[in-house]
Parts: sequence; C-alpha cells; structure tokens
Amino acid sequence: MSADTRVRPALKLSGVTKSFGPIEVLKHLDLEIASGERHAVIGPNGAGKSTLFNLISGIFAPSSGEISLNGRSIGGMAPEQINRAGLARSFQITNIFHRLSVFENLRIGVLARFGVRYGLFRPISGMRRINEETEKVLAQVGLESRGHDLAGDLTYSEQRALEIGMTLTTGADVILLDEPTAGMSREETAEAVELIRAVTVGKTLLMVEHDMSVVFSLCDRVSVLVYGSILATDTPQGVSANHAVQEAYLGQEAA
Amino acid sequence: MMSFRSVLLLATLLALLLAVPPLLDLAWQNALVNVLIASLFALAFNLLVGQAGLLSFGHAAYFGVGAFAALHLMIAIEDGLAFPTPLVPLAGAVVGLVVGLVAGFFATKRSGVYFALVTLAIAELIHALAPRLEGLFGGESGIGSMRMPFAGIVFGSTIEVYYLTLGWVLFCGLGLYLYTLTPFGRLTLALRDNEQRVRFLGYDAHSSKVIVFAISGMVSGVAGSLLAISNETANYSLFATDVSAQVVLQTFVGGSTVFFGPVIGAAIFALFSFLVSDLTRSWVFYQGLIFVLVMLYAPTGIGGAIQHHIRHRRQLDWPALAAPYAAMLFGGLLVAAGIVFATEMVAVMFGEDYARTREAAGGALIPFELFGATWSPTGPSTYLIPLVLLGAGIAILVKVRRRIDAVWAARGEQGSKTQTLATTGGIQ
Ligand SMILES: Nc1ncnc2c1ncn2[C@@H]1O[C@H](COP(=O)(O)OP(=O)(O)OP(=O)(O)O)[C@@H](O)[C@H]1O
Ligand SMILES: [Mg+2]
Repeated sequence: MSADTRVRPALKLSGVTKSFGPIEVLKHLDLEIASGERHAVIGPNGAGKSTLFNLISGIFAPSSGEISLNGRSIGGMAPEQINRAGLARSFQITNIFHRLSVFENLRIGVLARFGVRYGLFRPISGMRRINEETEKVLAQVGLESRGHDLAGDLTYSEQRALEIGMTLTTGADVILLDEPTAGMSREETAEAVELIRAVTVGKTLLMVEHDMSVVFSLCDRVSVLVYGSILATDTPQGVSANHAVQEAYLGQEAA
Repeated sequence: MMSFRSVLLLATLLALLLAVPPLLDLAWQNALVNVLIASLFALAFNLLVGQAGLLSFGHAAYFGVGAFAALHLMIAIEDGLAFPTPLVPLAGAVVGLVVGLVAGFFATKRSGVYFALVTLAIAELIHALAPRLEGLFGGESGIGSMRMPFAGIVFGSTIEVYYLTLGWVLFCGLGLYLYTLTPFGRLTLALRDNEQRVRFLGYDAHSSKVIVFAISGMVSGVAGSLLAISNETANYSLFATDVSAQVVLQTFVGGSTVFFGPVIGAAIFALFSFLVSDLTRSWVFYQGLIFVLVMLYAPTGIGGAIQHHIRHRRQLDWPALAAPYAAMLFGGLLVAAGIVFATEMVAVMFGEDYARTREAAGGALIPFELFGATWSPTGPSTYLIPLVLLGAGIAILVKVRRRIDAVWAARGEQGSKTQTLATTGGIQ
C-alpha cells in the first residue's frame, strides 16, 4: 500500500456516533480506508464492530457524523442505495436464501450487477452472460459441485463461503466482511483467507476479524475498537506492539 | 425445462378440457367454469403466498373489483360501445392491477401478521363501503348486464362461456408459469426467503413486493371478470371474508409450494361444492375439516405430497407401498364415513325442523330420518355406528402409517426435505 494511491479514501467516517436510547455504542469515530486497502477492525465482544458495519451498510442511520463512500455521502441512505453506490457486505450470522439453490443465491446478485434487477419479460435461462458470470463466482468460492443444492443444505463453512460469494456478486468495489472465519477450523480458516485474498484483489476490504493470524496475513492496517472508540489504527505489527492495545484488548485475549 | 412426460400430461389435460365439456350437461359445464375460475384465482393468490411469502387474507377485494369492472364494461357494450366481448376481462385486469398497486403499496410496508391484517382490513373496508356506493356496486342488489355477441359468437350458451373462460385461464396460467422463469420471478422467491439480504444486493424490496402484489391483484381481477361474465351479475357479497378465506383454503389444501398445487385445491373444492352442497348444509364444516387435516398431516398440501412421491419415485419400493396405501385409503374412507354420519346426525338433531317436530310431539326424543333409514336418538346403534367407523378407521390409519414410514425410511436417505418452487424451475 503506497501512500500516493490514497487520493480519495474509498470509505471515510468523520465524527460518527450511534446511540441506542441512552447508550452510546459508537463514540465519535474517525476512520479513513484508502482505495485498495485491506483493513481489519478488531475489538472485544460488544465493542460495536457489527454496529459500525450496520451504519456503513445502511441498516441504521448514524446519530451524528458523516459517512462517505468514494467521496459520496451515504450516511442514512437505504441498504439498496448504498449497495448500488458500490458497497457490499456479508453478515456475521449467515444470511442467505435458504430455500433457493446455491446457484440461485449467487445469481440474484449477478442480476443486480448487470442491471436486470426487475426483468419480467425474458426467461432467466437465456441470459448467457449472467449465468456464466454466476458460474464464475460459484467456482471462485469453491462451490461448483453444490450449485444445484439448496443453500440451506450446505455445511456451515460452505454457507460461509456462499455468504462471501453473494457479497461479491453485485460487483461492489468496497467489501465489508463481518467475521468471515468465525466458527471455522484451522484448515477452513486458511482456505477462507486464500479465498478472501483472491476475491478482493483490486477492491477495498474492511473486515471484522478476531483471529490475529488472519489479520496479519491479510490486512494492511488494523483499527482497534474498544467500547465504541477507536483506540489505535496502525499496521498489524504496529498494533500488536502498542501498549494501550495490549492492555485493553490483546492482553485480555491472551489471559 | 419441462420433462417430456409433463408435457405429455399437460397436453392430455388440455385435450380433455377442450373435448369433454360439450358432451356434458349444463350443470356440469357451469361447474367446470367455476373450477377454472377458482383455479386461476388460486394461482394468482399463490403468486403472493407461495412465491413471495406474503399471506393475504383479503384477496376477495381484487377478485371483486375485477368482477365489477367487467360488468361496467359489459353495460357500456350493451349501450353501444364497440368493444369485443371476449376481451372484457381486460377491464378486470386493469382495475385489479391498479387497486392492487394502491393496496399493495400500503400492505407490503409490513410483513407477516401485520401484512395479513392490513390486507384483511382493506377487503373489509371495501366490503363495508360497497353497498353504499350505488353507482359503482349497485347497492345491496348489485349490478347486472348481458353478454353481447361479438364476431358472430353469441355468448348465449354455457359452452361458449366455458371456452372463453378456458382461453383466459390458460393464457393467464401460462403467464404466471413463465413469470417464475424470469429474473423477477426468482427475485420473488428470494424476497420470500430473506427480504433483508435482497436489499443488500441492491434491490428495492418494497417496490418489488408492490409489483408482485399488483400482478397478483391483476390476475385475481381477471378471475373475477370471468365470474362476472359467466353470471352476468355481481353484488357486494363478492368482497366478503368467506371469498378471501376460500382461496386461502384451496391454495393450502392444494399445496402452495408447488406451482400447480392451488389448481388441485381449487378444483377439488369447487367440484365438491357442486356435488355436495345440495346434499348437506354442513359443507363449510367439511371444508374446514379437510383444511385442518391436510395442514396437520400433509402440510405441503396435496400437490406437495404428489411432488414428494414423484421426486422419490425411483427410490421407493412401490409394490411394498401398494397394500399399505390401499389400506390407508380404506381407513380414510371409514373415518370419513364416521365423521359424515356424526356430523349429519348432529345437524339433524340440533336442527330447526327436528326441534319443531319434537315440540309437536310434546318434547319427546322421537326417531328421525337420515340416509334413508330411521334412527332413534336414544338407541345405541345411532352412536355406535359412527364411533365404530371412526375407531376402526383410526386404528387402521395408525397401524398402516408405521408400515408406510418403514417403507419410506428404507429408501436409503432418511427424512424428506420439502423442496419448493425454487428448485422446480431448474437451473440452466
Ligand atoms: N439494535 C440494537 N439496539 C440496541 N442495542 C444494540 C443494537 N445493536 C447492538 N446493540 C448493542 O451495541 C453494542 C455493540 O454491539 P455489536 O454487535 O456492534 O458488537 P460487536 O463488536 O460486533 O460484538 P461481537 O464481537 O460480539 O460481534 C452491544 O452492547 C449491543 O448490545
Ligand atoms: Mg459483531
């Protein structure tokens, strides 16, 4: 990541605050993610990581502050508008179409990318480019042999791969992944890391991750979120050498 | 793609629908018209419930406005408007679409129970308003009009109405089937499964649901027009709750997870009501009972059960199933006989006529007539017969069910995943 490509940040948060009733879950966050950067958010349970993702992706509007995507303000926009502006996300809890085939799960997003969102007058089977593209994503996430199966019948780690695949389909260039490797075995995690590395080439990645080895092997920079505030933003090496971070978070984890 | 076998099946069905009705008497032709209309209405309704996962309790509204729209157009034709009579259902389509758009805009802002309640409220609203809007709905008595001839076709006979109805039902049914093969059809299924995720893939979920709702309203409107054309009259009772309830029952009994399932339910209910409603006043009760039993023991409906068997036809040991299935049928008939006996007996004993004859006899529990025999309200056989029928039937069913389960379990894979429309369209 060289500094000169950071002409305009892909994602920029300034003074973002989110309260649920009296509780301030995120407190005046400032964060800039450069275009093409792979950025991790780490932090203890309940720190507000998923809430941060929910604000950026449009589930909630920020209570105050600005969020911009590629220079365009998106704070408070609806999820579908933010997606069309070029941002896609995955979910910490698998969020797929359980009763559709794996192929269909992916094709829904591919249709959106090719702008055939509401096509009513042509059969889907004849849309060659869309079906080929869907096959491509299916292969990318290693689910070629499962295309015809119902998504609800996949194993947990296959569903996680599908979750990532669906996030890719809409062609967004900013990708948010919420704990993509949670609950995976060591080998599955290694595979998932390679998958994420491969599919995010040329894209901007923001991911929540608990596993520091994943963060080290994948990410350019890390932000540490503790009790709704960013304690530090640095390279993985820098963060793990940071005393405040060690006390607040990494120390806990080691204990 | 459809398999050769299903194409053959559909072609046979079509040939029968075309060739048989002229050989039938008027009552049967009329009954078939009603079957066709109920089928189309149920298909339109199922677009919403089966595919989009939105359970409407007020679909009478769109069926009803379609009927009135058709009648108003027919009145205009009578008054000299040059409009081809066979295209009258277009009026129902347009009005169903518009009313569906408006109602759908509000109803689909909510989901689940709240969606159902909003649709119910909208239908009730129209039902309450209609008798007061003389000009539109003709007050309590409704409006009527004659079918005008077009291009040498007089539309005077029932068989002409039948073919007109058949044409429209096939056209709209085919349209609804093709719908499932389009991108929007797939989006509809995705909305049913997980509306939130659809939004994160860049789709406006609310607008999409409004469109699905409006299309369902449009086809329901066509079905309503066909009824209006057939009856040449309609009144506000078309908006009543039982019209909305009927289509729910038919769709679920037929099977909402299978495209053609609702047609099965609609055909069964429409035919049964034609055959049975003269014989018994308890028909509505039997309908409800059938619904409850299907929901309890075959939640995917008749269509779902058939599809399940077709899907596993190669793994199943059919010869081993034949005897238990025959026994199940027998047990089911015994139970049905027991229930019908008990129901009709209760209907007589607690009915007005019997109360009056008892009064005349000074309050004595006098014998009554049922099924061509005389029964005493105090005699043991009056109660023993239904009890024995029920008991024997249930015993057979319980016993046979275990054998059937065993055969199914032996097919290699245990459990039976209910597949849905999602996979019936196939993947290219
Ligand atoms: N919709 C909501 N309403 C009220 N409180 C909420 C809501 N969503 C999250 N919170 C609260 O905000 C805090 C942060 O939650 P969040 O899910 O963002 O944490 P997280 O960092 O993702 O945790 P984890 O590592 O467990 O996923 C928690 O205390 C949670 O209870
Ligand atoms: Mg979280």
